[in-house]
Amino acid sequence: MSSSTRPRSLPGVLFAMLVIAILVAAFLVAIAVGLNPSQTVTSVVQSFFPPVAVTNQGAEIRTLYEIVFVIAAVIFFVVEGLILWTVLRYRRRPGDDELPPQTHGNALAEALWTIIPSIIVAFLFVISWQTLNTVDAISAEPQMRARALAAQFQWQFDYYDESGENIVYTQLIPAGEGGGMALPVGKNIELVLESRDVIHAFYVPQFLFKRDVNPGMVNQFQFTIKPEDAGKTFNGQCAELCGSGHRLMTFEVHAMTQADFDAWLQEHIDKANATPPPPPSGEPGGSGAPPPGGERQIQIDAHNTAFDQAELEAVAGQPFTILFNNEDPLPHNVAIHKGSPTGEEVFQGEIVTGPTQVTYDVPALPAGPYAFVCTVHPQMTGTLNVAE
Amino acid sequence: MATQVLAPAARGYRSGLYEWLTTTDHKKIGIMYLVNSFIFFFLAGILALGVRLELAQPGLQFVTDLTYNELFTMHATAMIFLFIIPILAGFANYIVPLQVGAPDMAFPRINALSFWMLPLGGILLFLGFFTGGTAAAGWTSYAPLSEDRPLAAVGYGQDLWIVALVLVGTSSILGAINFLVTIFKMRAPGMSLFRMPILVWTMIVTSVLVLMATPVFTSAVIMLFIDRNYGGAFFDPARGGNAILYQNVFWFYSHPAVYVMVLPAMGMISEILPVFSKKPLFGYKAFVFATVAIGALGFSVWSHHMFTTGAVYLPFFSLMTFLIAIPTGVKMFNWIFTMWRGKLTFSTPLLFAVGFLSMFLIGGINGAFSASVPVDFALHDTYFVVAHIHYVLFGGSVFGVMAGFYYWFPKMSGRMLSESLGKLQFVLMFLGFNLTFFPMHQLGLAGMPRRIADYSSASGWQDLNIAATVGGFLIAASMVPFLWNIFISLRSGKPAGDDPWEGNTLEWATSSPPPPYNFDRLPEIRSERPLFDARYGRIGH
Repeated sequence: MSSSTRPRSLPGVLFAMLVIAILVAAFLVAIAVGLNPSQTVTSVVQSFFPPVAVTNQGAEIRTLYEIVFVIAAVIFFVVEGLILWTVLRYRRRPGDDELPPQTHGNALAEALWTIIPSIIVAFLFVISWQTLNTVDAISAEPQMRARALAAQFQWQFDYYDESGENIVYTQLIPAGEGGGMALPVGKNIELVLESRDVIHAFYVPQFLFKRDVNPGMVNQFQFTIKPEDAGKTFNGQCAELCGSGHRLMTFEVHAMTQADFDAWLQEHIDKANATPPPPPSGEPGGSGAPPPGGERQIQIDAHNTAFDQAELEAVAGQPFTILFNNEDPLPHNVAIHKGSPTGEEVFQGEIVTGPTQVTYDVPALPAGPYAFVCTVHPQMTGTLNVAE
Repeated sequence: MATQVLAPAARGYRSGLYEWLTTTDHKKIGIMYLVNSFIFFFLAGILALGVRLELAQPGLQFVTDLTYNELFTMHATAMIFLFIIPILAGFANYIVPLQVGAPDMAFPRINALSFWMLPLGGILLFLGFFTGGTAAAGWTSYAPLSEDRPLAAVGYGQDLWIVALVLVGTSSILGAINFLVTIFKMRAPGMSLFRMPILVWTMIVTSVLVLMATPVFTSAVIMLFIDRNYGGAFFDPARGGNAILYQNVFWFYSHPAVYVMVLPAMGMISEILPVFSKKPLFGYKAFVFATVAIGALGFSVWSHHMFTTGAVYLPFFSLMTFLIAIPTGVKMFNWIFTMWRGKLTFSTPLLFAVGFLSMFLIGGINGAFSASVPVDFALHDTYFVVAHIHYVLFGGSVFGVMAGFYYWFPKMSGRMLSESLGKLQFVLMFLGFNLTFFPMHQLGLAGMPRRIADYSSASGWQDLNIAATVGGFLIAASMVPFLWNIFISLRSGKPAGDDPWEGNTLEWATSSPPPPYNFDRLPEIRSERPLFDARYGRIGH
């Protein structure tokens, strides 16, 4: 029964040589095309790890990740190696029709591969729990409080005063680019998460952390940005599918020293006070004297991140006005593009945060099809027909 | 063991369309399950290619944001509910009655009913493409996004999605009852529980999971339907509902559903490895207990999909999730030691089975990362999770399905599939699969969230995305030899005979394809390998 065929068969040797030859060739090609081998190896190895954490909590998670990764890698190579060795070693040789030993099992082996994995997962569970208690810890007296308020497809950041009760500054991050929240380094910050509509998730890869932003429920977490990361900017974005503009919900986090942050916040508070929210400018009945017929004024309402009009008409060669009524607590505007919503932009109205009204003066347009669209929310569109 | 073929009965497979549409023969129904499932596999695969095309480059090139959301929503919904779950049920439909030595399923008409709900559900689901828009809130359809929200989807797609899934779920429930009754009441004389083939065992556990979990899921989507259409407020916090409730009810089914999608594939692998190793399954009873343990634990881990919600008792679900690794590990070692010191014949079924082992291993290991709650805080909802689910459901289930297809096709058709085309398909699929999904680990670690239609060119994610897209098309290319193989083998494949692989179980004791009543006579059943016993006598014991 145990007449195992010791000598390697010729195809097996050829196969092994082929694999080695391919590996050597790949290595030589890589050097030939100018890849620095050590640099390449380093970047490949790095790609199996999350970013270097910029928060104390993230650093804990990264340490945990490294332990999990090492254990996973060992298990991977041992078991995958065992599979590979078994299938290469125990191939049936042609003409060998003898039945191999019919082993039905082995109680000791079963016990071993039950007990050893049990110990490993118990260990993993315990260290995960310990890290969880650190990263999920909530102090009753954080050194700073801020709030992230999510809505389709927009982040708003509110900064509380020292008491942690009153909002001193509200910041709207236009979706897609610009802006970004500022946070001091070295302080235990509590971020409160609330949603106006659907579920979103606050995710900053360099924090190694995300938390869902649920409607009807207030979430929070606390973190401390490392002092050495002052001056850096981190990208974040919504991680829970929230609708057609999900990918637009990006934001930035600017880490600052406490002094820089205080100056930044004061500057923004002052600026906000200096320019109070635009008063309902351009009331239709004002001094502007709209054309008596009224046909040159168009009214568009924005409600629930949608325009109330799908089709509009205008006369070619004549300027007209748009009375834009933004009912949402979100930034919207009306921009006009040639042909389609992604066509050339011929007019862009000021972005206003509702609820408010604004009047846009649109210059004369040549006849043809146009589209109107909200710059902040590209999915808000309609068509504008400019006829002779 | 050749079965005496009675002329009029055996001609059933050449009969007309009417015969197929009205049949209650579990074998024909099983084949229709397979055909129907493969059709949706190709449709859902094309949707995935759309996703991969769009992500190959930064910028929106091919689709709008909303269409993109429709693509991945429909891809996952169709793959899970119209391909993996039904195709495994289809294999079981064909194989389980044969393996237990029964003439048919216990309730043949209900069997036909559960099949016909599937194409109906599938058509309803895809009807969204022609009625203004499909569901676009992800296959999970989290509320309140999936409620009546203009920014989630347009048209009636979400309602069609709900109706389709209620149909498909009902089909599963009926099928599960049918399997359980067949297995418990119709086994051949001598086949005690511990002499059943492992595939039959996995179908017992799978059916129990389906029976207990699917009604909960159905209730979730019906509540969603009421919210959407009749002014309900179950899941809408703006009207006093609870958004997290949906997730709890949804995952109470959808996590066990992962085992519904992988246990039967494990069962198929456990049939194939012993046959091509010429050894019995190593640790049969341990394997059975591990399967039952996975099924039981499978009901206590659903919230590991919700670690970042802030509404879960984290340590409990973390512990239970880690525990599932233990019975899964037991199975892995039992499979490897089934091959250990065996005499392996590398036919295509074994190739795919070994592909299952090596890829499912990765899907198990990368799942452990997310069981560790703090690590999951970093990885949740990134491409790392997309990699994980595909290593489990493609690397596991689909490789298992292919192994099973190559293994049982000769029984179903009476023809052998071409070995060289099969091996070509395996190589293309194996390379394409890894090229597509392995880089997603790194994308997720680098912070790329799932379900985004576009990413910034400054993100550094492009190279890995190109690799994934190339891999996706390589998988698509592997379907060419697959379909060609079926086509030419049905026309002119080598006749299979009753038992081309020297199988162990009863389905090989009858003709290929079997007559409508399955067996003229059954061999003695004294172990889980009655045909092996008949072939070798007492040697094996």
